[in-house]
Amino acid sequence: MTRLDALKAIVAAFPREPTVVTLGATARELAAVARSDNHLYVLDSMGLPPAIGLGLSLGLEDSAFDRCLVIEGDGSLLMGLSTLATIGLLQPSKLLLIVLDNGTYAATGGQKTASEAIDFCAVARDCGIRSADVADHATLESELARCRAAPGPILLRVRIGPENAKVPYLLEDPVILGETFRRYVAAPH
Amino acid sequence: MTSAADRSQAVIEGLDAIGLDYALHLPSSTLAGIIRHLEGKESLRSFPVTREEEAVGIASGLSLAGKKAALIIQDNGLGNLLTALTTFPQAYHIPLFLLVSRRGGLNEYNSMIHTFCERVEDIADAAGLRYWVLNSRVPLDLWPSTVTKAFEHSQITRRPVGVFVDLMGGQP
Repeated sequence: MTRLDALKAIVAAFPREPTVVTLGATARELAAVARSDNHLYVLDSMGLPPAIGLGLSLGLEDSAFDRCLVIEGDGSLLMGLSTLATIGLLQPSKLLLIVLDNGTYAATGGQKTASEAIDFCAVARDCGIRSADVADHATLESELARCRAAPGPILLRVRIGPENAKVPYLLEDPVILGETFRRYVAAPH
Repeated sequence: MTSAADRSQAVIEGLDAIGLDYALHLPSSTLAGIIRHLEGKESLRSFPVTREEEAVGIASGLSLAGKKAALIIQDNGLGNLLTALTTFPQAYHIPLFLLVSRRGGLNEYNSMIHTFCERVEDIADAAGLRYWVLNSRVPLDLWPSTVTKAFEHSQITRRPVGVFVDLMGGQP
């Protein structure tokens, strides 16, 4: 499964939910798949998307949104791994953390991450986060469907290939990206 | 002459006037009384975080969701959050409020804390972080309103704003 395939499946399953997307190829591929106001494109800030998503999930507990998504990579998750403990502590029921795991820092030349040394699902479970390992497209679609109703927090580890799609860089003003997302979240839904 | 308890109480009055929804804290002996007060309040949710940059991320998410949050941290952890601060809430114009206790200087007992803490204001200036200082030069009756107005300033200017507070009563 490519990153692009996984992103298309995620967007199809959750087209309107607030979604924090990690930096690099993941952000620009998501923008290429479906540019949308419910996407918060994190252009830098490696390691931070799960924390941002945790804050959003807490802040939106009483909102009409059923889910708050984070699309993270294995390298960025490893940088902010301790946030899993805080997610476990606070139990944000709407949080769905999807980790696209290709074992590499693909956007920067394919350097290897420490992903193969860690069982993200086991770590999540030990932090009190429900988790599932996803290795193929059909399982991803069924897990995303299941996650629409299952209580969170949930972590899905999704195995993807190391290739990047040929899409343009996302070089927009972060102030506009942030304000567009904030207005989307604040509007009646 | 004021006591540490007086100084903490003045900060608490300022925090209470904000009407916080969330307080995110890291461990600090000087902030312990303030953290204990926040943990005991039913009107807000208070919780520990594992690192300062994680607190920046969570508080930014809360802010984007329209909630009022405060980071309660010690100044020797400011170095941890610089990249998160400058690449996310500063770059995206997201209001963020930091209550930062000062260490180092006169009255400090810890021999290893000076190296970083003595340069905290220079580091904050270099990072473009706007902050106000509360120390023994500032009359205690101005402390609560400074805390409250600094929070309001973060909302108005849509950026991170700090209050650097000397709770140890060191001579400036």
